[in-house]
Amino acid sequence: MRKALLAAAGAAVLSLGVAVDARAQDIKIGMPMILSGPGALFGEPALKGAQMAVDEANAKGGVLGRKLQLIYKDSKGNPDEAVRVAREMILKDEVDFLVGTFTGAEGPAVSPIAKENKIVFIAPVSKPDALTAPKNLHPYLFRTATTTTIEGRSAAELIAKLSVKRIATISPDYAYGQEVTAAFVAHLKKLKPDMEIVDQQWPKLGEADYTPFINAQLAKQPDAVFSSLWGGHFVTFIKQATPLGYFKRINNNFVAGGEAGSIESAKAIGDDYPLGIWGNSYDAFNWDGPPAHKDFIERLKKYTGQEQPSSWPSVGYIAVQVLVEGIRKANSTKSDDVAKVLPGLTVDTPIGKQTISPKNHSANRGQFWGKMVKDPRYTFAVMEKPMYLDPTPFLD
Amino acid sequence: MLEPSFLFGQFVGGLSIAMFLFLIASGLALIFGVLRILNFAHGSFYMIGAYLAWQIVHILDAKTGGAFWLAVFGAATAVAILGALIERFLLRPLYGREELYQLLFTYALVLVLADAAKIIWGTQQLSVSRPPSLAGASTIFGAVVPHYNLVIMALGPMVAALVWFILHRTHIGRMVRAAALDREMLGALGADVGRLYTLMFAFGSFLAGLAGALVTPIKTVNPGMDVEIIVEAFIVIVIGGLGSLWGAFFGALIYGQFLSFGILIFPRFSIFSVFALMAIILVIRPWGLFGKPLSR
Repeated sequence: MRKALLAAAGAAVLSLGVAVDARAQDIKIGMPMILSGPGALFGEPALKGAQMAVDEANAKGGVLGRKLQLIYKDSKGNPDEAVRVAREMILKDEVDFLVGTFTGAEGPAVSPIAKENKIVFIAPVSKPDALTAPKNLHPYLFRTATTTTIEGRSAAELIAKLSVKRIATISPDYAYGQEVTAAFVAHLKKLKPDMEIVDQQWPKLGEADYTPFINAQLAKQPDAVFSSLWGGHFVTFIKQATPLGYFKRINNNFVAGGEAGSIESAKAIGDDYPLGIWGNSYDAFNWDGPPAHKDFIERLKKYTGQEQPSSWPSVGYIAVQVLVEGIRKANSTKSDDVAKVLPGLTVDTPIGKQTISPKNHSANRGQFWGKMVKDPRYTFAVMEKPMYLDPTPFLD
Repeated sequence: MLEPSFLFGQFVGGLSIAMFLFLIASGLALIFGVLRILNFAHGSFYMIGAYLAWQIVHILDAKTGGAFWLAVFGAATAVAILGALIERFLLRPLYGREELYQLLFTYALVLVLADAAKIIWGTQQLSVSRPPSLAGASTIFGAVVPHYNLVIMALGPMVAALVWFILHRTHIGRMVRAAALDREMLGALGADVGRLYTLMFAFGSFLAGLAGALVTPIKTVNPGMDVEIIVEAFIVIVIGGLGSLWGAFFGALIYGQFLSFGILIFPRFSIFSVFALMAIILVIRPWGLFGKPLSR
């Protein structure tokens, strides 16, 4: 029995070996991505965007005459698992580059693996500033995601324009929620010293019932709130806050980060979406942007078969695009060469020019913000005239 | 800030958390109390109940209260049937084995059911609106209380009373209590212990499915809700005492109030007060507030 098993395993390894050899000429990109659990809702379209970028590049004859190949594995939204699959892709699949990870914990966990193996690693979604802070930055690490600084400051810019005085925050109590809220508070104090932070709530990530937090917040009588609850947490919060009269009490002066304006969240909340609040997302299919963006959305519709495509493919697409431009500019598929040309590189992406800062290896990636409204053309709430908030003016 | 109406609002908020938690923890406690199985998959039954409730509302495509309640009881019943099948055909062969095998089995079930739910319903976040008749809220002593939460707060004690009545005032309840005490003896007396176990497991699963279906108007239905809830349910039954119905009831009440008022004292550490309480109870009374020390 054991012999038979060994033989079968051997055969499997051999057949795998043959399959790998046949594609040895491909440039391999390894993508650890969250494909199970609650985050899969966003990880799957992000992967789809990366695959679309790869397919488009291959349709145009590949890069440096070689085809691109995307190898992906489920990171389960867990830093340990992300590290394990990243290692596996480097050692077994012999990927040339890593593009991927999702949560604020996964990116920083995979970064040292990239450093250790001297492989370029581009993080398309991980936001925490700590990822590219000076003590953690290394030559192989890059980020096309937005950062907690950019997102927090964007929200502060929006709230500073409202005629409000008493500001509150509600954020999940972990790295992302803490960092983005700190960035928001610091920037708001700079913009509007007379605005006062009257309350901060820190429910745990995945809190089942926000009622006590909502009551405690309302008791402090804020007139505007910044939130960084995301995904299902945001949806749950909305469903519980609305009947408590929360949004009426703050006059809909609610600025929600954490991609609250993405169609995934809007669809989940459906008719219960509190119209008039502010949300954000990585992309917006209804953006009245440049022709390049409209063209991208048309291609995305065809590629995904969705009439109103998700905002998440954008992150995977742009990350692969930046890598491809890096390979072209370096005229090499060696990570050492690509890592040298990426800092300072500017790429024409569907959302406009993105430049990788030589200082912190992060792109000037802003997000789309807009007031959530009901548009008769769609069955779910959308951002009204979504605007791309370019972070360049308020970055250090 | 500490006005009576605000404090009352926090109290009611904690109470509604407690009653949701009790609905889910009661089934867990019952199954452990009778079958001596720590059922990790209880959270998965809760998740399946939520998905099924969404599915039924979706199929009926009606936003009436009737459709909602039909969905709730339909989902809970379907989960009960699923639980009965799992107990009868998968769990029963493991009763003679070490407890570790049963633990591993229920854990494996968590993974299998999570994947099954993903295959059937995808990764989409789903949501059910409140039944229209319960969509509003009332102001009670200055605190806003959604009507739906009022119904849940009434339902919790009703379920507790019903379970207590079944266990203590019916023939089948006496058999169940006897099975919890001495399974072999009950079998030797001619009772069909196997069927009793299946029935209890199905009933526990029904409560999980009921909780899952009832939570859909106030919470997102998505993958991962199974694991989120099981941790909280375990905290509740550890505080109250493993396997004790009233333990689950008061454990949930204490959990809700500690969370509600804990955030006023430690706003940075919302879950801290609950964990601190659990740690203290584990040190001074490891069998929980209402549990009994193991005699072995």
